[in-house]
Amino acid sequence: MLNFVILVSVILIGAILVTIFRAHTLVQVVRGNKDGESLGKSNKVNAALFLVFLIGGIVLFFGYSYTQFDRYTVPVASEHGEVTFKLFWITTAVTTAAFILTHIVLFWFAYRYQHKAGNTAKFYPHNDKLELIWTVVPAIVLALLIFDGFRAWVKITDQAPDNAEVIEIMGYQYAWASRYPGADGKLGPYDYKLIDFENQMGVDFTNQFSKDDFIPREIHIPKGKPVLFKIRARDVIHSVYVPHFRLQMNAVPGMPTQFWFVPTKSTADMAEETGNPDFTYELVCNKICGKGHFAMRATIVVDEPAEYEKWKASQKSWLSKNPEYLSSLQPASPVVTEAAKEEIEEAQASL
Amino acid sequence: MAVTEVQLDEHVEHAAHDDHEHHGNFVTNYIFSQDHKVIGKQFLIAGIFWAIIGGGLSIIFRLQLGFPDMNLEWLRPLLGGWITESGKIDTEFYLALVTMHGTIMVFFVLTAGLSGTFSNFLIPLQIGARDMASGFMNMLSFWFFMLSSVIMFISLFISTGPAAGGWTIYPPLSALPQAISGSGLGMTLWLVSMVFFIASQLLGGINYISTIINLRTKGMSFTKMPLTIWAFFLTAILGLLSFPVLVAAALLLVFDRSFGTSFYLSDIFIGGEALPNSGGSPILFQHLFWFLGHPEVYIIIMPALGITSEIISTNSRKPIFGYRAMIGSLMGIGILSFVVWAHHMFVTGMSPFLGSIFMILTLIIAVPSAIKSFNYITTLWQGNIRFTSAMLFSIGLVSLFISGGVTGIFLGNSALDIFLHDTYFVVAHFHLVMGSSAFFGMVAGIYHWYPKMFGRMMDEKLGYIHFWLTFIGVYLVFFPLHYIGIAGFPRRYYSFTNFDAFSDFADLNMFVSVAAICTFGAQFIFLFNFFYSMYRGKKASLNPWDSNTLEWTTPREPGHGNWPGEIPTVYRWPYDYSKPGSESDFIPQTVPYTNTPESNLPHEAEEAKNEKV
Amino acid sequence: MEMAMNKTKESSFRMHPQKFAMWLFIVTVVMLFAALTSAYVVKQSSGVWLDFDLPFMFDITTGIVIVSSVFMHMAYLSAKRNEVSKIRIYLLLTVLTGISFLVGQLIAWQELVQEGVFFVGNPAGSFVYVLSGVHGFHLLSGVVFLLIVAVAAFKYKVHSTSLVRIEMCATYWHFLGGLWLYLYLFLTLNH
Ligand code: HEM
Ligand SMILES: [Cu+2]
Ligand SMILES: [Cu+2]
Repeated sequence: MLNFVILVSVILIGAILVTIFRAHTLVQVVRGNKDGESLGKSNKVNAALFLVFLIGGIVLFFGYSYTQFDRYTVPVASEHGEVTFKLFWITTAVTTAAFILTHIVLFWFAYRYQHKAGNTAKFYPHNDKLELIWTVVPAIVLALLIFDGFRAWVKITDQAPDNAEVIEIMGYQYAWASRYPGADGKLGPYDYKLIDFENQMGVDFTNQFSKDDFIPREIHIPKGKPVLFKIRARDVIHSVYVPHFRLQMNAVPGMPTQFWFVPTKSTADMAEETGNPDFTYELVCNKICGKGHFAMRATIVVDEPAEYEKWKASQKSWLSKNPEYLSSLQPASPVVTEAAKEEIEEAQASL
Repeated sequence: MAVTEVQLDEHVEHAAHDDHEHHGNFVTNYIFSQDHKVIGKQFLIAGIFWAIIGGGLSIIFRLQLGFPDMNLEWLRPLLGGWITESGKIDTEFYLALVTMHGTIMVFFVLTAGLSGTFSNFLIPLQIGARDMASGFMNMLSFWFFMLSSVIMFISLFISTGPAAGGWTIYPPLSALPQAISGSGLGMTLWLVSMVFFIASQLLGGINYISTIINLRTKGMSFTKMPLTIWAFFLTAILGLLSFPVLVAAALLLVFDRSFGTSFYLSDIFIGGEALPNSGGSPILFQHLFWFLGHPEVYIIIMPALGITSEIISTNSRKPIFGYRAMIGSLMGIGILSFVVWAHHMFVTGMSPFLGSIFMILTLIIAVPSAIKSFNYITTLWQGNIRFTSAMLFSIGLVSLFISGGVTGIFLGNSALDIFLHDTYFVVAHFHLVMGSSAFFGMVAGIYHWYPKMFGRMMDEKLGYIHFWLTFIGVYLVFFPLHYIGIAGFPRRYYSFTNFDAFSDFADLNMFVSVAAICTFGAQFIFLFNFFYSMYRGKKASLNPWDSNTLEWTTPREPGHGNWPGEIPTVYRWPYDYSKPGSESDFIPQTVPYTNTPESNLPHEAEEAKNEKV
Repeated sequence: MEMAMNKTKESSFRMHPQKFAMWLFIVTVVMLFAALTSAYVVKQSSGVWLDFDLPFMFDITTGIVIVSSVFMHMAYLSAKRNEVSKIRIYLLLTVLTGISFLVGQLIAWQELVQEGVFFVGNPAGSFVYVLSGVHGFHLLSGVVFLLIVAVAAFKYKVHSTSLVRIEMCATYWHFLGGLWLYLYLFLTLNH
């Protein structure tokens, strides 16, 4: 019923508008409005509106950007984040200048050079010098920006330092799992064929390096120390995204990736800075991965180094929490796949 | 292709070609027509239809984003089971909406609707040809597009839902129905539809290129071609080189989906079982996809830029500034667009070295884009500007192209993209620089060439209202998305209620949704104007905009063959507006230099001596 | 740019539109295979790659394709010289060699299967099937084209003043032959 009413009213409103429009045009015809005349008046209005738009736009843009700064700015909590944050604002300054200047010129010209009877336009097909200038100047400015970005990029993607805390993060529909290497500092190998209800990450627990690996509920990392995320996915592509750390890396099934960074603010520091006592770092999924994509969340706790060590020491290895797992495996030899073999070799080489 | 008819001879000889009206029946005249003008209009109508569908889908998901608590029970008659018990949009259907919105807008509206309409309609008219090189191929191109449209449309209504893995259809998500139900039949239909779409684009593209190269009228050298034609020409080349790559990508995806190969799949555990696939790489797909995908975005914008060049020059009553630079920058963009694709993949774990290379190449492409903007602005300088609806939309395009272009500088910088990738910042970027710009170009083109298409004028007042509502509207919709993006909000999220970090900005999201609905509503003014004027609009004069190009030398409603008599010869470039010394403020391309001794520049006076009129 | 433009101004480039369209079509096929072979290279350089011998039959079919191109050229030459019966014979020979090429490819696939390399499995194997399969598909279209020309030849429609069709057919056929040579070399070298 409601739908019907809506439909009818839409049709009615449409009909009324059409009638008004008809009447308007008819009146114009009767009045004998000439084209040129109406062009003159609406031309002025349109030209003026461009100026109004320009001024209104600039006011809104700067007004909102300035007053809402704290709302849209994500506090930075990693070393490389500080660098990219600065770079972001340099880029913003340069591009905003270009953006505003070109718009002032664009709309000003539109206003200033509106049609006037008796005026003729200037025949001005080209000016090589001018064109050269505005090819070269943007090129130079861009080169400078690239140069800064390039340096930052190289540093960020460089090899992780040797003393980095290694943590494995695995994405699956629709959650994150993490694994720590335990006391031996080595993550054991994994194989997706080993995944089952108990062993969600498919770790090969028969391997010596896996024995002390632990799989905590929550990810903890130490403040001020390099952390290396080894990232993989179990089903489809996900993406590890932590806005506060300016960290993003896809999690791809069959193709492990990684990202390292140095967190600079503990959760407590951040709670203080933001004035939000419940502040938590959130790890979110940022690659479309299915219906639960928008709720694929994990929390990260940044501890002071000492606390972190304490936390780590208190964690029990997965095997000790699941004592019957090994015996439930068939006595057959452990599945050794290419990937697992490689990983073992790698681990041994680094020993 | 063996059936291509030869129309060359009559063109070459400029035979006195009487307006031989082909007295076909309704079917051959309007449905299976081989006349480029009719085909152009067919593409236009189909494009408008798709734009309404695509826009409508976006309104539905904007309702969800702007009003997460709203009861959407009233959409049940339309969406059926996709509205959950609690009156909410199904989370998976949300992704389907986003996916179909993207697919429809990128391919069906802004590629087929824009380039299909104007390449078909304008190429023969502006280069002085009787029709396309092959009318049959041209017809086939439209009907392949139609078939593709029908398939895509059907996929909206199947029970497992349409494709839902994003318009970029990254596998494994798009390969595994276990991962998302849209990857079942919906994805199959998507791929089938896309194959026909590509066939249509290739047929069209081959035709555009052959026509432009072979069928130009006497005197229409490449240096005298309007910039619209240059844009269509380069666009067609881009399409010809990039669409086959999408075929390759889709083919391998089809094999992975239906035959169990492992091109893109490896080490996957899903739905409680480990899949046998091993050795594939999902990233491979992304490389292939973006090798098409990036040129594709320029396939979309270049025709719009061409149209804008023409309209801005005509209505400023000034030659386009830097004709050669405009062509050069189009070429530069065209070439560079093939070597920047991996900027969409900075955070896929690709080698950092490659990342640096692609960052440098990407930022180089910003230079020709900047040149174009500066040249448009300088064309306005000291002009005598008439704000027709088309002109308003063209100026709007320049503004949007700049606004969206500057954010490209952030995204092309891989160090910044780590933070911005896949956030609303990217959404803001491409909706301004591609979506809105190309849409503005398309609308500008419609307003400008409507008199040639339908022989009548559109109502200018309604055009002004349409422009201002739309122009303000798109800025209100897309500009705030920058802030949301800088705040780190990921795209393709059903709602932001699950995260503390994204608890803010409910107000801004609501604002954007309201603005989107209003802007969408404003398009109905245009629709009314469009269809109403077709029958009741003021009859157009032969050259309503005092324009120089050839299409305005045809009769009011050009018949089959376009010119009743001989095809006119071209003597000059199309931008002789307000030439010093000339009485009139425009000199059409068909006026020989010998007739205009008062306004000839020195080198033109030379040319006048060799002219045989 | 200036020079190129001035040149076209005088002698506007004119090629038979059908032939020109055919060349553009060939460009699209080139791009398709460029994409597939670069995908092959990318895939090979990353990840698990299976090593196996290419079927011996590929050597033979490569030979066939060359012979077939020779026949095609003979047919074309005969057409130019108006030797009607020779046109027909050579065209039929081209068709025959074309079909035997396709049969040969099928046998090659069988050889692969016997070797334990299946379409479904490691991408290294799948790629061989895809490359030869997509090429075979295009070759099939070439055979259809040949048949159309052959029928025309039997209707006396192919002769020295009506060469367009056979020229286009020859272009396409040589192109497909060349494409296979490229694929053959590519597979042999990247194995
Ligand atoms: C000024 C030059 C431009 C630069 C430097 C640039 C750079 C970029 C970059 C780096 C991305 C990837 C962002 C990400 O996913 O993280 C991107 C996305 C995009 N750009 Fe641009 N862009 C420019 C101009 C354009 C133009 C002219 C168009 C279209 C006409 C365009 C359309 C797009 C689209 C559609 C996407 C998003 C695709 C998707 O992920 O769905 N860009 N741009
Ligand atoms: Cu996910
Ligand atoms: Cu791109």
